[in-house]
Order: sequence, then C-alpha cells, then structure tokens
Amino acid sequence: MTDATTDKFDWTAPAFQAGLRKRKRSELWLKSLGLGAISIAFAMLLLLIGSLISTGYHAFTQTHLKIEVELDPDLIRADAPERGNYRQILTNTMQSLFPDVPDDRAELRKLTSILSNGAQFMIRDMVVADPGLIGETVSVTVPLSDPYDQLNKGLIDPDTPEENRRLKDDEIANFNRLAEAEVVSEPLNWGLITNADSRFPELAGLKGAIIGSAYALLVCFLLAFPVGIGAAIYLEEFAPKNRVSDLIEININNLAAVPSVVFGLLGLAVFIGWFGMPRSVPFVGGLTLALMTLPTIIIATRAALKAVPPSIREAALGVGASKQQVVFGHVLPLAMPGILTGTIIGLAQALGETAPLLLIGMNAFITSAPSTPFDSATALPTQIFIWADSPERGFVSRTSAAILVLLTFLITMNAIAIFLRHKFERKW
Amino acid sequence: MTLIAFLILFVAVVIGYVLNLRAARTLRAGGTAMHSLDGFHGGYAALSVLIPTFFLIVLWLLFQGTVIEMLLKGGLPSGQLDGLGTGEIQLIMAEIRSIAGGRIFGEPEQWKLDAAERLVSLRATSGMLLVAVTAALAALLLYRARRRVSAGFRARQGTEGMVHGLMVACATVAIFVTIGIVASLLFETIRFFNMVPFWDFVLGTSWEPQIPLREDQIAAEGAFGMLPVFLGTLVIATVAMVVATPIGLLSAIYLHEFASHRVRSVVKPVLEILAGVPTVVYGFFAILVIAPAIRSFGSDLGLPIAPNTALAAGSVMGIMLIPFISSFADDALGAVPRSLRDGSLAVGATSAETVLKVLFPAAIPGIVGGILLAVSRAIGETMIVVMAAGLIAKMTINPLDSVTTVTVQIVTLLIGDTAFDSPKTLAAFALGMVLFLMTLVINVAALRIVRKYREIYD
Amino acid sequence: MYDVTKPEHDVDQAETKISARDVQVYYGDTHAIKDVNVDIADKTVTSFIGPSGCGKSTFLRCINRMNDTIDICRVEGEIRIDGQDIYAPSVDPVQLRAKVGMVFQKPNPFPKSIYDNVAYGPKIHGMTRNKAELDEVVETALRGAGLWDEVKDRLDTPGTGLSGGQQQRLCIARAVATQPEVLLMDEPCSALDPIATALIEDLIDGLKKQFSVVIVTHSMQQAARISQKTAFFHLGNLVEYGDTDMIFTNPQDERTENYITGRTG
Repeated sequence: MTDATTDKFDWTAPAFQAGLRKRKRSELWLKSLGLGAISIAFAMLLLLIGSLISTGYHAFTQTHLKIEVELDPDLIRADAPERGNYRQILTNTMQSLFPDVPDDRAELRKLTSILSNGAQFMIRDMVVADPGLIGETVSVTVPLSDPYDQLNKGLIDPDTPEENRRLKDDEIANFNRLAEAEVVSEPLNWGLITNADSRFPELAGLKGAIIGSAYALLVCFLLAFPVGIGAAIYLEEFAPKNRVSDLIEININNLAAVPSVVFGLLGLAVFIGWFGMPRSVPFVGGLTLALMTLPTIIIATRAALKAVPPSIREAALGVGASKQQVVFGHVLPLAMPGILTGTIIGLAQALGETAPLLLIGMNAFITSAPSTPFDSATALPTQIFIWADSPERGFVSRTSAAILVLLTFLITMNAIAIFLRHKFERKW
Repeated sequence: MTLIAFLILFVAVVIGYVLNLRAARTLRAGGTAMHSLDGFHGGYAALSVLIPTFFLIVLWLLFQGTVIEMLLKGGLPSGQLDGLGTGEIQLIMAEIRSIAGGRIFGEPEQWKLDAAERLVSLRATSGMLLVAVTAALAALLLYRARRRVSAGFRARQGTEGMVHGLMVACATVAIFVTIGIVASLLFETIRFFNMVPFWDFVLGTSWEPQIPLREDQIAAEGAFGMLPVFLGTLVIATVAMVVATPIGLLSAIYLHEFASHRVRSVVKPVLEILAGVPTVVYGFFAILVIAPAIRSFGSDLGLPIAPNTALAAGSVMGIMLIPFISSFADDALGAVPRSLRDGSLAVGATSAETVLKVLFPAAIPGIVGGILLAVSRAIGETMIVVMAAGLIAKMTINPLDSVTTVTVQIVTLLIGDTAFDSPKTLAAFALGMVLFLMTLVINVAALRIVRKYREIYD
Repeated sequence: MYDVTKPEHDVDQAETKISARDVQVYYGDTHAIKDVNVDIADKTVTSFIGPSGCGKSTFLRCINRMNDTIDICRVEGEIRIDGQDIYAPSVDPVQLRAKVGMVFQKPNPFPKSIYDNVAYGPKIHGMTRNKAELDEVVETALRGAGLWDEVKDRLDTPGTGLSGGQQQRLCIARAVATQPEVLLMDEPCSALDPIATALIEDLIDGLKKQFSVVIVTHSMQQAARISQKTAFFHLGNLVEYGDTDMIFTNPQDERTENYITGRTG
C-alpha cells in the first residue's frame, strides 16, 4: 500500500455536489426521453386505432329506405320471373313517392339513384323465390346508394358550396322529404359480413374475403403444422451436430427474415408458372403462406422442445424406451402448448400477410364467395388493399371497417395463444 | 377423382394398420415371442402404405396439368399455333379451358371446340388413371407389409426408420424452399438479362418499364435501370430507421432500466400489438392520416410536397419498426449479466450512467444485429410503400419528393395478368433477385452478430 | 482442528464505523433479515458467516443500498455510517455507494480496458481534474490491489482477458479507486483457486489499514484467517457477534457451535 491516499477526496466539496446534481439531471433527461419515446409509440397506436374507429364505425350501419313496391304484372313475365324489368318497377315506386316531380327521364333517374343499384336484384330474387307475389304490392326495405348513405350519416355537409358537393341541393331536398316521411332507417349493416364484394360500396361485404382467408389459412395450417413439427423434432432431438444440420439451422433463420414479397415471387413462378396451378385461388395462397409460416413454426417448436427438461428424457430412456418413444410419448405432449402458441401466432401473421397474395392474384374482383379452396377469391388483407384503392368515398369507411374486422380476428387468435400460454405454462 | 384417390389411400392405411396389428396379435396369442409390439407392426404397415402412395398422388397432381397441356398442344391441328407468341398461345389455351369448363363466349372455331372436348376427356382419363394407379400401389404395398409380419421382424426399427425418414424430409423442406426461391428468381432473371443487358440494369439511371404491348401503341421505349428504384428504397428505409432507431432504443432503455415491473407488464404487450398490426393496415394509416398531415403541414410552411412523399411512407414504416428494435434492444440489454450492472452501481454510478456506459456498450453487438434485421425489414417491406409511396422512379434523395421502391415495382409489374415472356414481368423477378440478395447479406451478417453475442454471455 | 495461523489481532478497539439497529429485510412476503443489531468497527476486517440462505449477503447489500435495485426488496430499521442514517431520504445512494465500495462473488470486470475499468468510478464522480491525476489514481488503485506490476504494460487490454484471480483484484482496484471508507466483499474468493485466494487474503489484510472491510464468506477457515470480528447469521437472525477468536474457540450459542463444528451447515 502506498501513501498516495493521504489526500482524501472530499465528498462534501461544492464542486462534487454540483457534479452530482448535474449527473442526476442527465439521468432525469434520459428517463424523460425514454418516457417520451414510449409515449410516441403509444400515441401512434392510439392514433391508428382512433382513426380506424372514427372512420370505420360508419360502415357498421347502412341507411335503408322502406318502400312499397307494386310488382306490376306488365313488367314481369310470370313464366320467367328472372327477366322482369325491375328497374322500371323501382322507378315507378320512386315516382309514386314524389308525385310532383316532372315525368322527365333525367329527374326520374335522379330519384332512382337514391336507391342502391342492388335494390332491383333484391326484388328480383324475392320474386324468383315466390312468383306468387306478381301483381301484389309488397313492402320492402332496401339499402340506399352510397352518396345518400353518406348524407344520412352526416358525412356530406349541405353548407359546402354546391359545386364541391356530390349531391346537389335538389337531391338533398328529395332526401329530406324521405327523411321527414320517416321511411329512412339506419340498421346494423350485416351485409358487411354476409355480402361478397361489389362495385357499389353500399353492397360490398367481406364474405368472400373471410372465406378466402379461412381456406388459405386452413391449407397453410395443414401443410406448415405437420412439416414444421417434423422438422423441429428432427433438428432438436435427432439431428447429429454437424455441418448439414448447421446449414439447415442457418437456412431456417434466414428464411424467417426473407421479405414476404419474395415468397410471392416464388409462389408465382413455381406454383402458377411451373406447375400450372390456377391464379387467385386460396389453395395457392395457402401454399405460399405455408412456406412463409414454416420457419416461424419450426423456431417456436424448437423453443418449446428445448424447454422440456432433459431429466424427462433421461427418465424415459432409463426405463428402456426408444428415442422416438421418448420424444413422441413424453417430450412432444409436454411441449404441445408451446408449439400451439407458436403456431397460432404464426397463423395470425399469415392472416395479415398481403404482398404474396397480391402476386398470386388474390386481389381479383370477385362478386361471389368461393365454395372450395380452388375457386377464385380474395382474402381479408387483399380485400382491404382493393377497397383502400377504390375511389368511391363509401369505401374509405368500408376499408376501416374491414381492418377492424381483420384486427378482431388477429386479436382473437393472439388472445387464444396467450390463454394457452398461461393455462399450460409450466415452471420446471 | 382426386378425392377418391385420397379416400382409397386413407382406407388402405387403416386396413394395413388393422391387418398387421391383428396378425401380430394372433401370433403373440399363439405363444410366439415377438420382437416388436403389435402396434409397431400396425404402424409399419400404415406408414409403408401411406408414404409412397401419398407422394405418388401429390406428384401426379403437380404434374398432370403440365402433361395434359403438352398433350393438348401436341394434338392441335398443325399450323394453328405457328408464329404466335407465348402470350397469344396462353390466351388460346385459356379459351379452350373455359370452353371445357362450360363457359362459351361468342362462336369459337370448331378446332377449339374439338380441343376442349379432348381436354375434358384427357382430364377424365387422368383422374381415372390416378385412381387405378393409387389403388394398385396401395394394394401392392399392403400385401408386402402383411407378408412381413413374423416373430423376428423388427417392426419397431422399420417404423422408426420411416418416421425418421419423414422427419428428415420435413427438415429438408426448408432447404428446398430456399432452393426454390433462388431457382425461380435466377431462372427468370437470366431470361430477363437475355432481353436487357446486365449492365444496363445494374448501372442504368432511368426506370420506365411501360413498354409498348402492341406494335402500334405509342409508348416510351422501356428502360430498366435499377439505380433510381434502389435509391428510392434506400431513402424510404433511411427515413424509417431515423424514426425507429432512437424511439426504439430509448424505449428499450427506459423499459430495461427505469420502468417498474408493473409498467413493463403494460408497455411490452402494447408494443407487441404495434408489432402485430398487419402492414396493409399501416399502409392505409399512411394514406388516411399521415400523408395528409404531412401535406398540410408542408403547405403551411410553404414547402413543395409531393402527394406520395417518401417521408410519409418512411415514417409509418418507422412506427412499424419501433417495437421490433425496442424488443431486440431490450433482449440484448437483458442478456448483459446482472453482475456488470451491480458492479457499476456499486462504485456509485447512476442508473443512466450504468446503462449508457456499461450495459449499452456491452450490448452493442446484439443491438446492432437487431437494427440490421430492422433495416432488412424496411427494405423488404411491401404493403406500406405500395399504398403510400410513388410509382415513378426518380434519382433523388429528397424525402419530401415522391420515390418508388424495389418492392413497389415488383408488385405493380406483376399485378394483373402477367405473361412470363415480357421484359416487364421478368424485370420484377430481377428486382426480386436484387431484393433477396440484399436482405440475405444483411440477415446473414445480423444473425451472425447476434449469435456470436449470445455465445459470449451464455 | 484448523491448521491455520491465527491472525495478529489489533488489540486496541477501533471506533465504530457502521451501526445497524433493528434491521428487517423483506423480499416480497419473505422476511429475509430479522432484527439485526450490529456495530462494525473501523479499520478492521469483519466477516459474516453462516449457512447458505442465512441472509448474510442480503445484510451486506443493505450497507451500500444495493438492495434498492431489486424491485420487491424492502428494508426497515436503521443503518448508520459515521452516525449518518444511510436510509434517510436526504442520502443519495449514488453518493453512498462511492463511499461504500463493493466486490462481488464472481469477478465482474466491465468489457473495457483495464485502465477504463479502474478509471470508471473516478471518472463518473469527477474526482480528477486531468489525465495525469486520473493516471495517478488508477496506478494507486492498481497498486493497492497488488495488480500494478502484472498489468502496467497492458493497461489498454480488455479486463476480461485477465485470469480469474487477476480479474477479482481488478474489481478490488475498481472499488478502491473511488477512495471508499468501507469495503464490502461478497464471497470474493469463492470463484477462485487456492493460490489466487491466498493473494486476495493477503491483500485484504493490507486493506484494513485504510478501510473498514466487511466480508461475507462461506469458509470458516477464511474467516478465522483474516478477520478480527465475526458475525454468525442463521435463518435471517444475527445469532452471535464478537471477536473471531471467541466465536471459533468459545461460541456462546449452541447454533454457532453446531455450525462451526460441522454438525449443521
């Protein structure tokens, strides 16, 4: 020990105290910066959800009009009810609601355009189902077309200059007369889920997209789950530690980070180009998503297998079980909750994946829901993309609503995963 | 027909299992000492029927389309396809297919109707053949497996060998996916370079893929120089990283060093939500909220702002990457041994000094790895830029300008009907190759760094 | 029974440096330390012994408030150093820890150069005005830890490259560089081989000229070799405290006797 310590450092010196205060201040700075960063992330999430809800909630209701439709036998042939002039029937109906409007083609068209373009098909389907209605007057509730729907929801401001408005003064006046007659209603918009896609926002729904996504996910699960588990078990429990298994491991980790659009290129070139599979079908979408989900499932399964303590393996091996009996009889069941959690999270990712589905053509405009995985269809995320690209105003709120539906599915899946994790969590 | 084939397979598997199980049981009941348990005899039969037959069906389904098309083309009256481009041939084939499917538009020529009829009969024959071959193979395998049942037969080893083989096959699927990616990209890219010179693509500064589809169409001569597209990608990725890196790192530092257990348990799941939002949603968010906000902010300042600014797309991408970076950094800080933290605190360092001067430097490799992975994501991210970035390629690094990216071009070039023989379509694959190579290099580097780092403290 | 040389005892009793009164420590719902009262003298080596899990390390970490860094840990009672209550609201743990240095069970040098490891404390506290002063402080500390001659030619090499014993002495140098008054050592030799242990024990004997050294050890031989005072902890209680000679030759409490004679532990 030297004597250099004779001049003891003075902890109470003012210089030191000032330094200490400065250090405390910079600590406070770092702390507030961190808090600020987290607040920004939170604010963005709130802004995201808030803007979706504030634009999307309009799409959860749809303005309807109650009309008395006279099914004029002159306009519908009884032997072929599907060929009637239903447009004229609706025009007549609207004319009877506005008896003072001049019998002028342009004016009449204006009146008919209050109703959704799909109204005539609704009445046609009704008549086809029950031809006995011909000649009767029936009371039906039909959706309004998008501009009037927007007007009813207060999204069109009558105070804006007329030339910047989608509805002119007389059209708004027409609508107000209907509103005063109390034939306008705004019920829940079940069509959003029960209709397939349409060019008209008021008729467009997600049925085709939801079924398309479900088929694609089913195919994805059927392929990626068994193959992923098989690969993970082999790599974790059986593979010798050598160059080849190292290569496979590096390969899987890299595959997990390959951009999704590249998988789309793969699907397009291989499945559609080389194997001649059809475009736009959920089956091919599911195949492509399966290739993307595979690394996620393999990595999650390996983690779950790794978490099973070696003592269990040793115990089973010790009573003379073969390695495979140990793995399939003891290790795999114990690891199953973890594997399922990882799989659900992987599938949730696949459900939100858009780019690869665009490349294999799942953004086609298809107005009927697919009945098998081999029919052309869209998927939820690609439907969102299509609607986001559509110029009609009504599709803005539809897009937000579709996103809310997609997020609901995702949250449900993740909630199931979290539930599984908590329920079966085991501390070794 | 396919369904019937799968049904036959299923029934054969069940029969095989039951037959062998029973046979083994009978032998055992007769007092023979068996080498393997009865269940393994059953499993042996089931698997030895399942594996070959299943692969037969899959291969058949994969290749029947191509084979039928070849047969169909070969059977067309000679001269009909002479002098036509692949696109036109594809159109004719599509027409024949739709006639065969019962959707007839207009009045097709007689030879097309004939071809459609042949297509129908070819398909029927193929289906029939598939069922016959499946049934024959399954029966043969059943018979072979049943013959094997005996006291000395090592059914367990046999079964386990097959299971082992299946697992190895599963593990190699991942390799085949990579090979598939590389092969498909390489194949189409080489075809692209046969049409467009390699150096024009790599060093060209003009990207105008709108080439004339027909001779009489007036359009610019296509230009395929990737530099402006590449530059646009870098601009947007840079904006994204400038947003995401500080916010992500600071949140990680706060969470790791200052947040109480309760705050952590709230903040981390919320950040995970941000990470779980699909990118198409972020894209819509960009065009719905962020882009208009930036535009109106810019016009308030009097700045000229393009409608699809790189700033809007990039900053939304940055928001998407915040949770990615913060969770990586949090993990990396958490991997630094607690003893280092204690050592620093014990000489009187504040928490801030500890985290900045000891933990952070020690965690740098892990954090850098995470940031690199985020960069690779930013480069490969598609939907946000497809929706919020521009389509026109410009040689600019101004984030207020509208730029396009590699992924945007891939998607726009391939959306809609595509024929595999125009440079426009093939250019997408060449860009895909560039994207794949870029992200591959970054990923390999990042994963290597992260792995090395984990080894230090494990 | 113990083939060890008796430590040469300072006969004159030094003044009290640390005094603890009714100290309780809780980990969540667990009552880890119960009613500990102890006076620790200046310029002596005091060792805490006891079976594992008895709370000796926990109590040690109370003396420089390292337990503050554990969320669920709660300390009651009072601990005074030089008469000042270190748990008083006015006391800053940062300043306290500079005065009460600590060496840990496992050597934990920072992944920096040897020089930067030792200079870390003086730098953050702003104890030196220039490089020359800092160099001097580093050299003094390294000499104090008996490491100077071994590393003086490679001060800029990573501290993690040293051997285990050298690393631990580097950590001691890092702790003494801030010129503390108390040095806490939490089983400093448990990860070291016998030769490195002997070096550190010699070092501790020298350190007591400057500091009050408190050492937790699981080795009774070590306690007997190096300390003048010994405290025996059992299940969170301080069972017996006194001169090391007395504790080892003539324990008052049955539990102490059982432990040091090897019947429990």
